[in-house]
Amino acid sequence: MSLSRLQTATDILKARTRAYEAQAYQAHRGMALGDGSEAQPLPLGASAVDHCLDGGLACGGLHEVRSPLARDIGAATGFALGLAARAIKADRMGRRGIVWVSDPATRVDGGGLFPAGLAQYGLDPSSITIVEPGDLQGAMWAADEAAGCAGLAALIFQIKGNPARFDITATRRLMLRARQSGVLALTLRQSGEEEASAAATRWRVNTEISGADNDLERGVGAMRLLLTLERNRAGRTGQWLLAWNPKDRSFHHAAPDPRSRANPSAHPLDRLPLPADRPGAPGQMGQVLDRRQDFGRAS
Amino acid sequence: MHRARWGKSWIAGRILDAHPDTPPVVVTDTVKNAIRIVALDQRARSRGVRLNQTLSDARALVPDLDCHSADDEANRALLMKIAGWCERYTPLIALGSDPESGRDHGLFMDITGCAHLLGGEQALVADLEARLHAQGFHARLCLADTPGAAWAMARYGQDRIIAEGAHAEAVLPLTLSGLRLPPDMVASLGRVGLKTIGCIASLPRAPLAARFGVRLMQRLDQALGREAEAISPIMPVAELSTERRFAEPVTHQDEIGHVIAALAAGIIEPLERRGLGLRRCRIKLFRVDGHVSQLDVQTARPLRDARVIARLFAERIAGLHDDLDAGFGFDLIRLDVVHADPFDGGQTDMMAHQAAGQGHDALVDRLGARLGLDRVQRFVLADTHIPERSFGRQPVAHLGAPGLAARRASAGNAALALAPEAPGEIITRPLILFDRPELMQTIAEVPDGPPLRFRWRGVSYEVARSEGPERIACEWWRDGRGARTRDYFRVEDWQGYRFWMFRHGLYGRETSEPAWYMHGLFA
Repeated sequence: MSLSRLQTATDILKARTRAYEAQAYQAHRGMALGDGSEAQPLPLGASAVDHCLDGGLACGGLHEVRSPLARDIGAATGFALGLAARAIKADRMGRRGIVWVSDPATRVDGGGLFPAGLAQYGLDPSSITIVEPGDLQGAMWAADEAAGCAGLAALIFQIKGNPARFDITATRRLMLRARQSGVLALTLRQSGEEEASAAATRWRVNTEISGADNDLERGVGAMRLLLTLERNRAGRTGQWLLAWNPKDRSFHHAAPDPRSRANPSAHPLDRLPLPADRPGAPGQMGQVLDRRQDFGRAS
Repeated sequence: MHRARWGKSWIAGRILDAHPDTPPVVVTDTVKNAIRIVALDQRARSRGVRLNQTLSDARALVPDLDCHSADDEANRALLMKIAGWCERYTPLIALGSDPESGRDHGLFMDITGCAHLLGGEQALVADLEARLHAQGFHARLCLADTPGAAWAMARYGQDRIIAEGAHAEAVLPLTLSGLRLPPDMVASLGRVGLKTIGCIASLPRAPLAARFGVRLMQRLDQALGREAEAISPIMPVAELSTERRFAEPVTHQDEIGHVIAALAAGIIEPLERRGLGLRRCRIKLFRVDGHVSQLDVQTARPLRDARVIARLFAERIAGLHDDLDAGFGFDLIRLDVVHADPFDGGQTDMMAHQAAGQGHDALVDRLGARLGLDRVQRFVLADTHIPERSFGRQPVAHLGAPGLAARRASAGNAALALAPEAPGEIITRPLILFDRPELMQTIAEVPDGPPLRFRWRGVSYEVARSEGPERIACEWWRDGRGARTRDYFRVEDWQGYRFWMFRHGLYGRETSEPAWYMHGLFA
């Protein structure tokens, strides 16, 4: 075989690979739905995030939201529910249902959704169907079924930690089913580590101290989330500070607070602040617990 | 002592079991202050043991008697199981009690309109007897026009089938015990020479009723068919049912799935004719050895799609903890429509995915069928301010309203509807609420002030901002006078975690050391 022919063959191979990649990319973006209609990406409402995501999250697909610690579950739930609320708002077919599937392990210390809080957050509590199977296998089956149900707006599958059973095959199945049905499928991983999965994006949610309240001097202001896009199959990653507007049901950028995580003496047991551009950083080595018996008297 | 040592069980000596090398078996109970034999098997009978004999007499006759004390609960459970199995002949089955002991003793089956399905009355009785015998029961059967006559003939008569209209002549020669009378009444009637039913049937009624009570006349009339007697069925009768019998029992799960699909396809047409859609249906699997297992599925809205029904049952079977125990196979599979609602054809969604069983309601049905109905829930509101009592979760299947749109329309029902609270700028309620508030250690500036520092789940937090208190009073009408007021605070620490916590009890008035509880997490 001559060198030129070899080069031609290489070129052909390269061209094919590019074509496949483009196809896979299009499919991933949710633009190759079975019915031919182009699925619109779901914008978060914050311009920098949407720009990074090429317009928004792929609506028919799996996305992972994780909270590093158990107490971060409030913020992570808030982000996941915010995405679901946006999916309902953006849905053109009038789909309103959210299915919340939870693994039994999350119920031990995770608490449950509070309808009054949901209503204030901009979600109709009656649109949420809660599924609590007796074991993880049942939960995974329920999530699969819900992800394949085209009559839903969003599925939120809450799991705890990194169970071995919920592996890359399981996430790929969820991803494929969600892509076929056009449902926004979210994995809400409570106190879980980074793990390989088929999800299109993975978000880490941390809390951030709220800004000053205009009315009350020491009052609690509007919530802020420190979002880290740890993984994005179709683009860049990044970190943003977002706030949620329940009225518009949209996220928007929040200004960083000067005191944010800059008060080391205020909390002697705090971890070191994490670098802002963090994707790929090593995991933390556990956390410090305060087991002093004489709480309050020592300080 | 295990009752099922030699065969399934024995009720009142009706079960024959021929195990030659085992001792005779009797069942004893305390009757009139003595331990007497209330049931015995054939071998005991052949060695001279009689009913109502005291146990000591019987032991003198047969020293190696194997005696068990009567267990009414077990008898009743067995009888109920047999009754469940008898449903293969008719849905109307009632327990018949024994007038002597008041125990459940035998079954009534109303086979009106069912005999032709099994090839006539002769064939039905023969089939029933043969199958019961094959299961190890020795049953005495009688088919007659009235329950009373059938009861009498089964116990004291010879014929198994009394021709239509002939029941009166058949019961007249029988002893008075055949009228389901208390034993002392039978004894006192016997003392005046009235020993058969025929004796009292021809006597003037008024003196008999005056002497022995209305009960006697009523029982006589019921046996002779002069007074109608209704039996009260144990199980509710299905609105519709369809079944398939097999010459060769089916064992494989796939075959069962096919049969269920075929049965479901068969039930659609009668449903359509009646304008109904099924809400709840039940599969009954009759195993050849007499065991009956049943599986229920429920749907959120009236359903008339055979494929969807079959799929729900497939999920239901897949969701069982272990496989269906087919044993030697099922010889009868029946599909009962337990509950059906009017089916509004106009309600079907025009969208394609809804029609294909892809809609939200279909998903809820599938999840409920596999995981259990109570595991698929939706919020309902209650009329109280105590946060953990202000809402509940109810199985979607029990909420009943079909579809989200309809549920919104019927929002007038205050107990079930959720009051839509407009989302505002200020969020005062957390997203996550703990089922049980968690006790924490807290330091506050002043006893009735907001917390400064607290420790929850082993981690201490420094409070950066707080709002409160929001006072929620106790429900004295529910919790009593000692219940404490809660002062709720929204608290944010320096890392941005937002908590909802409360101080339990008013300082100075209700308690001197109020405890602090963590109750929820904000986003």
